[in-house]
Amino acid sequence: MSADGLPKNEAHVLKGHEGAVLTARFNKDGNYCLTGGKDRTIRLWNPHRGIHIKTYKSHGREVRDVHVTPDNSKICSCGGDRQVFYWDVSTGRVIRKFRGHDSEVNAVKFNEHASVVVSAGYDRSLRAWDCRSHSTEPIQIIDTFLDSVMSVCLTKTEIIAGSVDGTVRTFDIRIGRELSDDLGQPVNCISLSNDGNCVLASCLDSTLRLLDRTTGELLQEYKGHTCKSFKMDCCLTNSDAHVVGGSEDGRVFFWDLVDASVVSSFRAHSSVVTSVSYHPTDNCVMTASVDGSVRVWKA
Amino acid sequence: MASDEEDFVFFGTPIEREEDITSRKKKSIAEASGQLRTLAPWKQEVRDEEGRRRFHGAFSGGFSAGYFNTVGSKEGWTPQTFTSSRKNRAEIKQQDLSNFLDDDEKAELEGNSLGTSMQFDTFGFTAAEMARKQVEKEQNERPSAIPGPAPDEIVVPATDPIGVRLMLKMGWRRGHSIKSSKTSSLYDAHREARKAFLALSDDAKPPVVGPKHAEVEDDMASASDLPTDGVSQFHKSTPVYVLNPKQDMHGLGYDPFKGAPEFRENKRSHLPGNKESGHKRQPPKKDGLFSFKSRNVAPGFGIGALEELDAEDEDVYASNYDFEAFVEEIEEPTKLAIEDKKKPSVKQHGILPGFKPATNSDYQLERFDPPVVPKDFVPQHKFPTTLEVNHKMTELPPKDVPPPEDNSLKVLIEGVATLVARCGTLFEELSREKNQSNPLFDFLNGGNGHDYYKRKLWEARQKHGDKFTPLLKEKATQNTQKLTAESRGNILGEKPLERSLAKDVPVPVTETVNLQFHLSDTFTEPSSFVEPTEITKPFQYDVAKQERFEQYMKEKYHGGLRTKDAGGSSKMSESARARERLEFEAAAEAITQGKWGKESQTSGQQILGVPGGRGLQFTSGGLEKMEVSRGEETMKKSMFPKREEFQWRPASILCKRFDLIDPYMGKPPPPPRSRSKLDSLIFMPDYVKASTKEEKTISNNTNLTGSQLDENEGTSVTGVEDNVEVENVERPVDLYKAIFSDDSDDEEESSNNPPEDPTKKIEAANTTLSRLVAGDFLESLGKELGLEVPPENHVKPQPTQKSTVPEIPQVSQMLHQPINSNSHKDTTRIQENSSRNDTSELNHEKQDTKVKRNGSSSEDERSRKRSKRHRSSSDGNGSDSSDDSRDRHSSRHKERKKESSRDRDRDRSSHGKHRKHKNRESSSKSRRYEDNDYGDGKREKRKWRD
Repeated sequence: MSADGLPKNEAHVLKGHEGAVLTARFNKDGNYCLTGGKDRTIRLWNPHRGIHIKTYKSHGREVRDVHVTPDNSKICSCGGDRQVFYWDVSTGRVIRKFRGHDSEVNAVKFNEHASVVVSAGYDRSLRAWDCRSHSTEPIQIIDTFLDSVMSVCLTKTEIIAGSVDGTVRTFDIRIGRELSDDLGQPVNCISLSNDGNCVLASCLDSTLRLLDRTTGELLQEYKGHTCKSFKMDCCLTNSDAHVVGGSEDGRVFFWDLVDASVVSSFRAHSSVVTSVSYHPTDNCVMTASVDGSVRVWKA
Repeated sequence: MASDEEDFVFFGTPIEREEDITSRKKKSIAEASGQLRTLAPWKQEVRDEEGRRRFHGAFSGGFSAGYFNTVGSKEGWTPQTFTSSRKNRAEIKQQDLSNFLDDDEKAELEGNSLGTSMQFDTFGFTAAEMARKQVEKEQNERPSAIPGPAPDEIVVPATDPIGVRLMLKMGWRRGHSIKSSKTSSLYDAHREARKAFLALSDDAKPPVVGPKHAEVEDDMASASDLPTDGVSQFHKSTPVYVLNPKQDMHGLGYDPFKGAPEFRENKRSHLPGNKESGHKRQPPKKDGLFSFKSRNVAPGFGIGALEELDAEDEDVYASNYDFEAFVEEIEEPTKLAIEDKKKPSVKQHGILPGFKPATNSDYQLERFDPPVVPKDFVPQHKFPTTLEVNHKMTELPPKDVPPPEDNSLKVLIEGVATLVARCGTLFEELSREKNQSNPLFDFLNGGNGHDYYKRKLWEARQKHGDKFTPLLKEKATQNTQKLTAESRGNILGEKPLERSLAKDVPVPVTETVNLQFHLSDTFTEPSSFVEPTEITKPFQYDVAKQERFEQYMKEKYHGGLRTKDAGGSSKMSESARARERLEFEAAAEAITQGKWGKESQTSGQQILGVPGGRGLQFTSGGLEKMEVSRGEETMKKSMFPKREEFQWRPASILCKRFDLIDPYMGKPPPPPRSRSKLDSLIFMPDYVKASTKEEKTISNNTNLTGSQLDENEGTSVTGVEDNVEVENVERPVDLYKAIFSDDSDDEEESSNNPPEDPTKKIEAANTTLSRLVAGDFLESLGKELGLEVPPENHVKPQPTQKSTVPEIPQVSQMLHQPINSNSHKDTTRIQENSSRNDTSELNHEKQDTKVKRNGSSSEDERSRKRSKRHRSSSDGNGSDSSDDSRDRHSSRHKERKKESSRDRDRDRSSHGKHRKHKNRESSSKSRRYEDNDYGDGKREKRKWRD
């Protein structure tokens, strides 16, 4: 496969975070993005013009993950302060703080209707929080994990989470089943393919693994990058043709989905690439790094 | 009226009239006169001098000071300064002690209070202030030419401050710095020591810079002119105006580090001139304000004051620099100062933990261009030639003389000259000595061809000069025996060269050949390796040899030039010596290696461990894992990913929020799932079903009996039984039996169905297993139902079953369970329904099939399944469902068996009389037991399979 159309030119550098940026996420339509980092702030940007729009400050420690509702009205975020914050985008105020995790919260996601926030914590649990009621108690705690839960993805009917215990667990709400796919390697990050049929798991043995969701079959392994000790993101391109992943040496890799060959790779940052996020429609990828910068790459 | 009264003049004391004297006064007087003393104690009252009663009963007011049983003031308890804060909230009154003191207390306190008297005015501030006030006052009174307040400079206090006066008394004179002689001498000593040290370490940097800046500021002033006046103990206090050139943008006199002196050190270390001082001051920083437990704190972000620094606050992304500096610090406490210089450059990166250097600094770092390298500079070091060589090189060339006529002599002269040039004058002397009698060598002694020899020698020296300067130098230094060479050798760890060399050299030419070789030995190994080798004596059998060996070892380790026949083995032949030497070398090697082997565990490790330890930070734990063999990898690949399936119950509200129908709607909450893997196999729904079955039993029963499938149900029950009944796990059933059913039920049941043969049980279990493994239960269900649907009138078993109360729930549950458990899977449900429909259709065709056939057909089934099982187990090895799960499964199965056998035991014990009835007819019941067991396993299997 050719590397045509893959982003490789730096379009913008979003500077403003002091210290490592740990997460960078596009919103639903890809016009805006949110980043969170060690400086305990969440920042809202226009990545296509490189403009910093707003800063959300309230976290007591580093922000590890952030997610925005499809209607761009609310943000949820989590981090080292063991809380999940539920923000109002326009006012920048915290609507609710969900306390309950016994340890740092690694990842957070809204469900489809933005009515539930699911958070994954270092305390080996997934917690679902209700945004509709005023309760700050979790409506569900899933604690079948044996180790820190690093990443969570939600579909319409399922909660999928990857854990350091090496499993990717799918909780199907519709039938009340838990499917556990043991990969044998600590799972750092999981990412769903856009068609929802596959799940991409970044393992700490410097391998990305693509699993078939229905059968649990290992479809492909992607190697070449370094991922041994940091929480790093991976994702698929919006066409599901390539797999994108960062590396600890500051490079960004693009693999062909099918034959797992490295199609493109370039040095994006001077330090660990913590987060990669692909634009939902355009050929645009956003990378965040420990070096404190967020870069937007376009074709 | 009043004015009238004023006019009166009174003399004397007016006589008090009777009525003026109050009754209480009278009473007090009476009291005083002891009138009341006769009263009983409880009737006596204490009164004050005016006869007022101050003490009341505890319930009638206590002590009253005159203000109606309140505090002794009109306001009572209301504080004096109380004002309603309703209107002026923001106003905050500064409260002090006096606000809470009474007047008398205040008066008391004033007596004890300390105040400064005008007399004690240490710095003269008070005096100055007074003087200025005085001046101001005066200025107000008399008009002045210059309006406005008098400038401070003009007003000088009239008195000396007490401090100055004291100092003057102690011998201090104005204009001198305050400094004790002792400190200065101590400082001198320090300074000298440092100077000496620097001279010794022979560093290129100017010796003043380092130590001077390390000193405290006030010392610096005197340090500058220190050496000049050692006689007078007091030094001129020349004010130091420019101590720290202003390099920042702060206002004059503004001290940004006022409250945080830790930062000042940092700032100083930043300044280009103060590099050395910066790192010397670093250590106090460690126990300063920001001494975190861990050094890997993220730069830039502190944590809240109330939060503790945890492991999670460590900066995982921290650069290696900090760490390196840290390592260096702990492991090398004693190191040469020269090496210390490395540290600041490394440390500069970290600065203060918790702070990072500003991206745009407010001061400009002074940068100097590197020195310009001259164009003709050759980057090659020339060894400085020693005096002798220099002298020889620079000495005037002897005049060019024609070579002697004798060609052989000419060749000889030239050859000797080159040799001498190469090997030094030593060779010349030796050859002169040796060939004294030889007329051919007369040229050495000034004879024939001496001039030519001189000339050639000079030429040869010129030629070889460059090439052999190191060598020559070696010899020259040795000859000249300069102290500098020795000290230099000491510094370099070089063994001083042996001076007695000249005497022992037998053949100079060979010596020069050896020289190069020995040179490598001239460098002694670090003292740590110079181990006394006396302990190891490889040549104990030969004392002389051992001695020689020791000599050899000594020489080897102590280095230095030496002759070949060291140790006085001159008697030995050349070859023997060579052989011995080889032996010695081998032995020495063996010894050192042995020693190393021993040492490597202890001291060797700590020496070598340093770089290793430092390297550790670059190796990752995962590296080894990456190097797993290919076989393992493939094995792993086949193993992973491994899929397991569990029951999971989403909260109803979660389902609601996800807009989904709760699959467990209307069911009681499951018990908390246990963490252990084995326990996770015991599914919650067991309890759920067990509990729900009771309530559903009746309704199901009525429904089913009411339906047209009524009769079939009963029979199909027997068919389904095999497969489904199993859904009941014994434990919950037992539990519920224990709770809800009487013993009589049990009795009844067991009387109808005596316990079955254990062997049969096992067999049943096997068949169960086989069926389970074979898998598709629904298929078998359909087949079975199709095969053996009993006729309508063969509802016989039903009544018997119905007679036993617990039987019914079981049956009904059998019917209920599959639907229930499959309700999530639409497809399966459909399948089942269709199969049931099949049964209803087949019903009519197979009217005459009997229940007994059921058993036989199930026998068939069993055998079939068994074969299937073999197949599946054989290919199941490679399948996803790993051995692990199978193990668990089997273990669980065993458990179940145990349980069921326990069950049986109980039956047996309670109904021993029925044990003899082991007839086939009662198999219907016993089979149910088997099936319980078997289906239980099957159910599990289904879970795995799903």
